Amino acid sequence: MKLLTANRLHDGLTVWYSGAGWVEDGAQAAALADDVAETLLAEWKLRETEVVAPYLIPLTDRGAPVQREHVREFVRANGPTIGQTADALSKAFNRADIFEN
Amino acid sequence: MYVYDTFDHAFTRDRIREFSDQVARRLSGELTEDQFKPLRLMNGLYLQLHAYMLRIAVPYGVLSSRQMRKLAHIARTYDRDFGHFTTRQNLQFNWIRLADAPKILEELAEVEMHSLQTSGNCIRNTTTDQFAGAARDEHADPRPWAELIRQWSSNHPEFSFLPRKFKIAITGADRDRAAIRVHDIGLHIKPQGFDVYVGGGMGRTPSLGHCIRTGLPGEHLLSYLEAALRVYNRYGRRDNSFKARIKILVAALGPEEYKRQVEEEWARMDRARVDAPQAEIDRLKTFFPDPTFNTAAFDEAAFERARTADAAFARWIRNNTHPHKRDDHVSVTISLKPTGLPPGDASSAQMDLMADVADDYAYGELRVTHEQNIVLPHVAKNDLYALYTRLDAVNLSTANAGKITDMITCPGLDYCSLANARSIPLSQEISQRFEDANLTDRIGDLQIKISGCINACGHHHVGHIGILGVDKQGIEFYQILLGGRADEKAALGQITGKGLPAEAVPAAIERVVQLYLKLRTHDNERFIDTLERVGRDAFAEALHEPA
Repeated sequence: MKLLTANRLHDGLTVWYSGAGWVEDGAQAAALADDVAETLLAEWKLRETEVVAPYLIPLTDRGAPVQREHVREFVRANGPTIGQTADALSKAFNRADIFEN
Repeated sequence: MYVYDTFDHAFTRDRIREFSDQVARRLSGELTEDQFKPLRLMNGLYLQLHAYMLRIAVPYGVLSSRQMRKLAHIARTYDRDFGHFTTRQNLQFNWIRLADAPKILEELAEVEMHSLQTSGNCIRNTTTDQFAGAARDEHADPRPWAELIRQWSSNHPEFSFLPRKFKIAITGADRDRAAIRVHDIGLHIKPQGFDVYVGGGMGRTPSLGHCIRTGLPGEHLLSYLEAALRVYNRYGRRDNSFKARIKILVAALGPEEYKRQVEEEWARMDRARVDAPQAEIDRLKTFFPDPTFNTAAFDEAAFERARTADAAFARWIRNNTHPHKRDDHVSVTISLKPTGLPPGDASSAQMDLMADVADDYAYGELRVTHEQNIVLPHVAKNDLYALYTRLDAVNLSTANAGKITDMITCPGLDYCSLANARSIPLSQEISQRFEDANLTDRIGDLQIKISGCINACGHHHVGHIGILGVDKQGIEFYQILLGGRADEKAALGQITGKGLPAEAVPAAIERVVQLYLKLRTHDNERFIDTLERVGRDAFAEALHEPA
């Protein structure tokens, strides 16, 4: 299974494909079958007026990004981990961090 | 400070108009991302992990209070209420909307600022000594020369598409506070002229610059730089971006051969077409006059009363002031490294306050340091306690300049799309571990520099203790380097011991520091001096948990 993610063109924010469209909360991302994910990626690569640089995140059986990209995707999905004025996304979306080890 | 002339105004206005049109065409879909990316990068706009990042040029780190207020306004209006000061003496905003970028550039132009050449394979912002024009140990003020280089390199047609980015640093003091030996070109102004170093740099192939010219007369500075860059532009590699910096070419040719080619190019070029006339150099110098110094007699008794009554003030005076060319003034470092917070960050309220105190106590002038702090270059000693009190009210009075908690730290994997590991959380933990002011003062001068990847934006190669984040099969690991220094005795640190997981690093640093305190021969023997005396091997074992 894979997740489809990108940055939104007009503000650059990280977005996730939910199955029905793009959402800011990674917890709403749809786990897509590999072939579906590849097809969607190919389609969105051509539709550049909404998102930039879409790519797929392979998932482990437990639904977390594969180890090689784990830290990067954890930070991307939950926001900076350094407690500054940019609140963590978990707070913004009233949820626990996702992709925890 | 330098004031825009009609050319500067027209040039930035034209560029904003052009970029506004490019942004509109990108948003409408007329431009593809592949077409747009090099255009936005030419205007300092990156796409990072979470959002667009806009890097704003602060030429040679000099800011007016008016400019600082504008940066505060931009942080408040267009970003998430803070900005991040960088090792290139610039400022980055991390949460910019693409559609807002042209408006931000218009706002910057109102105060004679821009974001040009803060990205791309061109000549970047020239950096210099944060105490320029104020330091007691200075031979010559580097700012007019940095301004000359800025004007020459802005939109230079021959050097807008170099093999890779190109960084120049310049100092006019004996003590090198600008890290000139780890720049593509480093310039050291001496009484007899400029010493020119080429081929320094950090990144994956760290190298110290080689001196290829001494005593270069200032009136020939531009033609000599042009010759040095022309050789690089002609022969620098373009097939492999990892091998495209000038340091690789200098290493491949050898410094002597590089020098020969530069001299040959310089001998045959029409220097008069490139060099600035003496009248222009003299005119630029007039843009950097001393302020009209407050000459009220220093009330030493009142100062001593404040120092005796307030131990925190006394410590701040000891650590965060620097000798000024006038006995009745000092330069003040405002630390952006409070315990447990991201190094180099300032909120809009803090930026506004820094602008206010610059107006009230520092003749309206501020500097951004490559160590990610802010400096007030000229402060009358009579004003120090009032200044300290106002800084203290907004958490800007941390008394750690040059100390172990005054770390250079790149944004790392919390923001940067190139990083392999996080840097800032590590610096936060280290600063908490060394929070005890007495311990920090006992340790003395010790520079820790942290990078989240091999690109070395956190200058880890020249930290007394350098920390490099690496990705080890998906887990953040950190290599420790010992023995680097960026000053006039520049040296590259060497990897020491095995890589450590993040949670082991602060304790490892503490063990190294405790060993240093045991090994030093007297209180004034700095960490780097002890390390050079006893060797790295003496510290290698301390990095690892005793079995």
